[in-house]
Amino acid sequence: MTTGRSMRAGEAVLGGGLIALGGLIAVETMLTPSVGRAVVGPALFPYLISGGLVLVGLSLLREAFAGAVAHAEGLELDLWAVALVAAGLAVQFLLLDTLGWIPSTTILFAAVSRAFGGRRLMVNLAIGLALATFTFVAFNYGLGLNLPEGSIVERLTSPDAE
Amino acid sequence: MDTLAALGHGFLVALTPYNLLWSAIGVTVGTAVGVLPGIGPALTVALLLPVTYGLEPTSAFIMFAGIYYGAMSGGSTTSILLNAPGESGSIVTAIDGHAMARQGRGAQALATAAIGSFIAGTIATAALTFVAPLMVKMALLFGPAEYFALMVLALTTVTAVLGSSLARGLASLFLGLALGLVGIDMQTGQARLAFGVPELLDGIDTVVVAVGLFAVGETLYVASRHRFETEEIYALKGSKWMSREDWARSWKPWLRGTLLGFPIGTLPAGGSEIPTFLSYLVEKRLAKKPEEFGKGAIEAVAGPEAANNASAAGVLAPLLSLGLPTSATAAIMLAAFQQYGLQPGPTLFDNNPELVWGMIASLYIGNVLLLVLNLPLVGFWVKLLLIPRPWLYAGILVFSSLGAYTLNNNVIDLVILWVIGLLGFGMRVLNVPVAPCVVGLILGPLAEQQFRRALAISQGDPSVFLTHPISAALLIIAALLVIGPMVVRYRSNSAAKGAGKDGSASPSGSHPAT
Repeated sequence: MTTGRSMRAGEAVLGGGLIALGGLIAVETMLTPSVGRAVVGPALFPYLISGGLVLVGLSLLREAFAGAVAHAEGLELDLWAVALVAAGLAVQFLLLDTLGWIPSTTILFAAVSRAFGGRRLMVNLAIGLALATFTFVAFNYGLGLNLPEGSIVERLTSPDAE
Repeated sequence: MDTLAALGHGFLVALTPYNLLWSAIGVTVGTAVGVLPGIGPALTVALLLPVTYGLEPTSAFIMFAGIYYGAMSGGSTTSILLNAPGESGSIVTAIDGHAMARQGRGAQALATAAIGSFIAGTIATAALTFVAPLMVKMALLFGPAEYFALMVLALTTVTAVLGSSLARGLASLFLGLALGLVGIDMQTGQARLAFGVPELLDGIDTVVVAVGLFAVGETLYVASRHRFETEEIYALKGSKWMSREDWARSWKPWLRGTLLGFPIGTLPAGGSEIPTFLSYLVEKRLAKKPEEFGKGAIEAVAGPEAANNASAAGVLAPLLSLGLPTSATAAIMLAAFQQYGLQPGPTLFDNNPELVWGMIASLYIGNVLLLVLNLPLVGFWVKLLLIPRPWLYAGILVFSSLGAYTLNNNVIDLVILWVIGLLGFGMRVLNVPVAPCVVGLILGPLAEQQFRRALAISQGDPSVFLTHPISAALLIIAALLVIGPMVVRYRSNSAAKGAGKDGSASPSGSHPAT
């Protein structure tokens, strides 16, 4: 259960985040040496946008403390499920290059299924494996795209390539 | 007439068996993906991008046209049977459509949506055929200053129209604009905000952002909420056909919805929210039994669905002729064009007539195919709603990561997808609309380019935006759209405060109620 107070905190985090982003853009733009002699250089829009970010961020902060926030009465959130889905995606991008598309996508599929209450791990893994294999075959051989087979597999299949 | 000859050529291109096949595949896949809950047209187009990579541009865009129309019609199925509108244009349909489904009249609701979409889609596509060349002529009169003003207008309206508060809409817009800064500056070649990561020099892909916000963010949100919400599917039962009365009550709303949808779709303020809501209000005003509205009035499905599809065709007019996307879906279509090295706008009609007119012709064909697919096969699409949720959302994320990875064969894109997805989850929880972010990301760099061109031509004199009458008018409209609601709100606030003061100062000395 997320309370109205944490919704306000969330809004404040968003507002603060926008102000921080605006500051980051302004600083980064100041640190970048300007090149070229155009009438309007590449720095103007970053400054405008960072200014806009700061203003919008301030206005959100004001709403967080005094104004109307979304779901002010609180909103039930299952954050464990969110963490599981996020972890599944993180595992996929961390392992994709080494393990390849099929195993890392199978793990992603099983993690998301679990987050949505699918309890039969083996069945979920099997379906994930089937979907990952199908997409790998269809996209690599049917459509000519390059889903990675994984550096481990490549090393095993052609050891001299090292 | 020129236009008819060009359209004829388009049909010759679109009706070759090869392209007809891609159109049919596009419509079918678009409907199938669009039917899945939580996937709106923007996401459908983004997810299906990789499928087209192996195709010639012309065939690819013929397939896109099918996907676009298919996704629009698939969305009505989820709205009606599941009360889960995948995009803002289907929200109105969900109200009465779902009420009809609860009464066992789901089949009639789907039928009036399908036939209404066909009629509205066909009329609006015909209108597009003639409006687009006119807009091209207008576009040729536009210089960079006018383009910049037009883009500012589009950005402000997309932001001001959507969402619960202006601040949240602007937050989303500025996030998009900030993401658009990343990469090499188009005019000087200088890297901006790349932080030394070589993969960021190419900029952040619109498709990754859209998939991150619409698919990953939405999936995270649904994951966090699914334990607390139950969804019910209402089976189709009883007669599948519309009765004589249903027809009599549907045909006028179809036509009125079309009349509202197409012109509003073509405006820079486009999109489908305003015409669908307007259509609902108009039908309620004109209905013999307005008390039925909200409880399953067929007019309330027929009108907004027609308006939704007509605006979908309308949105293509500024997209193709000006390169101006006015909805998130259009922004992704524009990104798809850029993927092929094409820039929509007046020159596209001259340089790639086959592609543009083949695509427009395939919209007519797609509409017919959709009617065939939707009326007899609706029972089949309904089966797609029965996919168990764990596998459905797991599958959505597999295809999201596939789409993001295959854009550049790059793991960095998956990391960006992850970050944007978490951001999208936060935005969804806080009720921040995500569409302005996508539109801002694609329009921001284009607007900057036009702004700097205009100033280069005027040798640095910024009055160029106000001395050109079209540009000045567009900028004034944009300013009014932002300031107008603020003034109204301020006035009603101060009026309320003034009334409060009078009340407390009144001689009766009564205490305020709260």
